[in-house]
Amino acid sequence: MSVLRPRTLSARYARTAYLFLLPAILFFAAFFYLPIGNVVSTSLMTGPQADRFTGLGNYAQALADPSVRHSFLVTVAFAVAVVAGSIVLGLALALALDRPLRGRVAFRMMLLVPYLTSVAIVGLLWRNILDPELGVLNRSLSAVGLPEQQWLNTHPLLTIAAITLWQSAGYTMVLFLAGLQGIPETFHEAAKIDGADGWHRFWRITLPLLAPTTLFVSVMAVISGLQAFGQAYIITNGGPGDATDLSVFHIFNVAFRARDFGYASAQSVLLLVVIVAFTLIQLRAGRRGEVQY
Amino acid sequence: MRRALIYLMLTVASLVMVLPLLYMLSLSLQTEAETLAAEAVIVPESPQWGNYAELFERAPFGDFIVNSLVVAGAITLAHLLFDPLVGYVFAKFRFPLRNTLFVALLATLMVPFFVRMIPLYVLMAHLGWINTYQGLITPFLMDAFGIFLMRQFIQPIPDDLISAARIDGASEFAIYRRIILPQTRPALAVLGLFTFVFQWNEFLWPLVATTTPEMRTIPVGLTLFNQEYFTLWHLTAAGSVILFVPTAVLFIVSQRYFVRGIALTGLR
Repeated sequence: MSVLRPRTLSARYARTAYLFLLPAILFFAAFFYLPIGNVVSTSLMTGPQADRFTGLGNYAQALADPSVRHSFLVTVAFAVAVVAGSIVLGLALALALDRPLRGRVAFRMMLLVPYLTSVAIVGLLWRNILDPELGVLNRSLSAVGLPEQQWLNTHPLLTIAAITLWQSAGYTMVLFLAGLQGIPETFHEAAKIDGADGWHRFWRITLPLLAPTTLFVSVMAVISGLQAFGQAYIITNGGPGDATDLSVFHIFNVAFRARDFGYASAQSVLLLVVIVAFTLIQLRAGRRGEVQY
Repeated sequence: MRRALIYLMLTVASLVMVLPLLYMLSLSLQTEAETLAAEAVIVPESPQWGNYAELFERAPFGDFIVNSLVVAGAITLAHLLFDPLVGYVFAKFRFPLRNTLFVALLATLMVPFFVRMIPLYVLMAHLGWINTYQGLITPFLMDAFGIFLMRQFIQPIPDDLISAARIDGASEFAIYRRIILPQTRPALAVLGLFTFVFQWNEFLWPLVATTTPEMRTIPVGLTLFNQEYFTLWHLTAAGSVILFVPTAVLFIVSQRYFVRGIALTGLR
């Protein structure tokens, strides 16, 4: 009786709240918390059915496995390149656009377009452009007598990082633009009166006051860089050799090609721990460096 | 002088962004011979619109399009239904365990998809949902970010509005439906656009969760088509154009919402 007809108002509101929340509670339990529990429990299993308990065996194997270590290092290098590129390129474009310009909206639109494309388009298109024989780049270069490129063979990791930047630079630019617009104009005016030139104003005012945006951009870029998959799957197939064997691509292959769900789960958990650790370190470092105004 | 340099930099950057996509369009209209010609063709001699028809003959591309529309459409609809409702509850209700549940919700933001990939696959295989729409859709029905966005948007709505409606005897759902929901329209537009575009472009899960060509979405179907017919670049390009056009149209008609939406994600 009391469950159906709560006596107090606050109990009635609580009942309404839980009623409205019910689908969400069920969803997040079934599709987030249950899978997280399962990935941990599967990581303790081995065998083709992942049904033999092995304790921490998969973790020990992963930490000692040179191919896992290699793919992790490749992934970190890739993420570092993407983070650095995102900040430099995104900020440069935002600074260029943060002023009254003719065609400002059109520029912003063109710069943002690749962000809307699927990784399938990004991957297939750039694989075609850079293909040593069939690619439009080499066919154009040789037609005008310039030396051909082999970037996907000579610098595969940097090349797929650059392709990733092609897609994401517009996104970071918009984030930086929003950050720039949050800096009160009075600071720049005061500095101008004090005789600071543009260069000084950038280093002493713009950059420190942009710190929260820079932090957010770098956290997002690290998180997405460490879990890149399509670039390796579509463009390089992890190669040449294992030069672009990004971690999630490696995990995907262990799980769905070698069918070792236990080993793949352990590697997923390890990568998750790394991502969470990176994020917490960045947030802590960022909070210490934050400027109040 | 400085101004000219800035224009130059922006023009070069814009061309780098846009030219590859224009080349994709050009490639989709070339003959196979043109795609292989020693000197690359930039503008095809006579546009081969038949390439698009050929693509549909060689692969179940019609199925890909329907699948993408169903999956991205259903997920977007679910977000528009649930995210504002849950956001409203966290913005305006007091109830036991509220903060605990909210933290548990936000914690899911820290969980990248690859962590869920294997257990979701096992779960779906168990349910017999591999290669089905429900298998493609259910893992993405809601997400913490959408809920958080709606909560932030609903919080400033005055409580008095809600109390007044309660005094007038409106039911709790009617308050949500009639008073809260209409005020969230701009946020809903952003949420709907972003959800649709992201799901339309989603790659990893449809790759894992489908086994026959007929169930693939466009990004996955196109990529596997390319692996099979890797020399037929004009057809792969035609498929890429089809994949790109809906998002491009959405972007052109609602550019402001996209820019505002991205800026919102940064305002945490």
